[in-house]
Amino acid sequence: MTLQQQIRANRLRSAFVVLLFVLLIAAVGAAIAFGVDRSLGVGVVAAGLAYGVISLLSSRRMVTSLAHATPVASKADDPELFRMVETVSIAAGLAKPPQIWVIDDPAPNALASGLRPDTSLVAVTTGLRRLMSRRELEAVIAHEVAHIRNRDTRLMTMAAVLVGVIAMICDIAFRMALSGRGRRDQSPVSVIPVIIALVLAPIAAVMLQMALSRRREFLADASAAAMLNDAEAMALALRKLQLDQQTLHYADHAIAHLFIESPVHRIRGVGELLGSLFQTHPPLDERIRRLEEAGGFRLG
Amino acid sequence: MTLAIVLAAVGAVLVAYLLYLYNRLVRLRNEVDTGWSNIDVTLKRRTDLIPNLVEAVKGYAAHEREVLQNVTEARAALQAAQTPIAAAAADDLLGLALDRLFAVAEAYPDLKASENFLHLQEELVDTENKIAAARRYYNQTVMVSNNAVQTFPALLFAGALGFRAREFFEASEEDRQAIQVTFDRTTA
Repeated sequence: MTLQQQIRANRLRSAFVVLLFVLLIAAVGAAIAFGVDRSLGVGVVAAGLAYGVISLLSSRRMVTSLAHATPVASKADDPELFRMVETVSIAAGLAKPPQIWVIDDPAPNALASGLRPDTSLVAVTTGLRRLMSRRELEAVIAHEVAHIRNRDTRLMTMAAVLVGVIAMICDIAFRMALSGRGRRDQSPVSVIPVIIALVLAPIAAVMLQMALSRRREFLADASAAAMLNDAEAMALALRKLQLDQQTLHYADHAIAHLFIESPVHRIRGVGELLGSLFQTHPPLDERIRRLEEAGGFRLG
Repeated sequence: MTLAIVLAAVGAVLVAYLLYLYNRLVRLRNEVDTGWSNIDVTLKRRTDLIPNLVEAVKGYAAHEREVLQNVTEARAALQAAQTPIAAAAADDLLGLALDRLFAVAEAYPDLKASENFLHLQEELVDTENKIAAARRYYNQTVMVSNNAVQTFPALLFAGALGFRAREFFEASEEDRQAIQVTFDRTTA
């Protein structure tokens, strides 16, 4: 799959995510209007859509606050990192380098987010900054910039934000059902919100799954290797991430797929098989192996 | 009647193809233009840094006239360059001249310790990295765009629609020689 095809496919998927979101809200509204009260249904649709739009507009604040990131104020604070981001953005053909944010955490990790390439951001942890050599850090940044250029960030940010909105609506529906049960008669109407919530949750999960296609991680690795003309640097950086056992302090499932390496603890034992079905990232071994194949080298 | 339908169908397919081709070529041309403007910006930054560097070095090593003059001339050639190939050739020569300048600077401890000089050196290394990055992106987009323009069946229409193959940002030995000949004339 070429880059242009990937960008086009991502645009289509982004539109599909939005469409699915609107349909879900409309379905909830219709169910409430039909079963409970007509004006309440209209209200839920209006509020849900408005909340979705507001969340998308403030996605930067949502993502950065979930990740506990702070912006790097000026180039003087970390000239090396700034220069690296500028150079990599030029190599990727971005019109403007992304903003740089820092996450104060000893675990090495990095994320990219944003709805448009020129309003995107890249965040690195202080652990990554400390642990990686120049060459490896550049590879990690190239991986994140590749996500921005391939428009993965838009799709992933949209999915994270809109799934969050749906999760909240499900939550409210559950509460409505529970408080309804405590009241006088056991009318069948009070069951409707529960059904809605139970139907909505898996659909939201499917939506997220779609955005999480692991192929885009392989593609970002390959793009980064091509941009820097250095597949080995990308593989070395991934190996370093693999050897490090620390995990992010503020790992939130909602934004897990925005990171270069899954920030959430891997489940061991019985849950491992189930967990691997919902892994947001392909195993690092597999990613390193593909880079080795493409670059014609072997890490020792 | 059947002939008319066939002709109309062929015409419709042709028009659809031309629309697709035109949009694709425009997009590729825009990518090449973005790549070139990236190169242009970084080259300009490099030429802007040179006069300061020359001044800084003159303060400590004024008699290294030849080395300084090579840098100044390569810079002038880069500013005068009209095409990607000429710019690439002049930029290569500027890189060589700067390498020699920094090698010579090793013999002047005061110059090497000067904060201004160190800062300029750092900036120049950074611009060099950026030019290399911009070159990679530009040459790659040129290759994709040239493939689109020069392959069948697009090559039948690309010319008529106003699309040409573009120059790579890549200089051969002859291109560099051509510039050096003009140097020698001006110094003689």
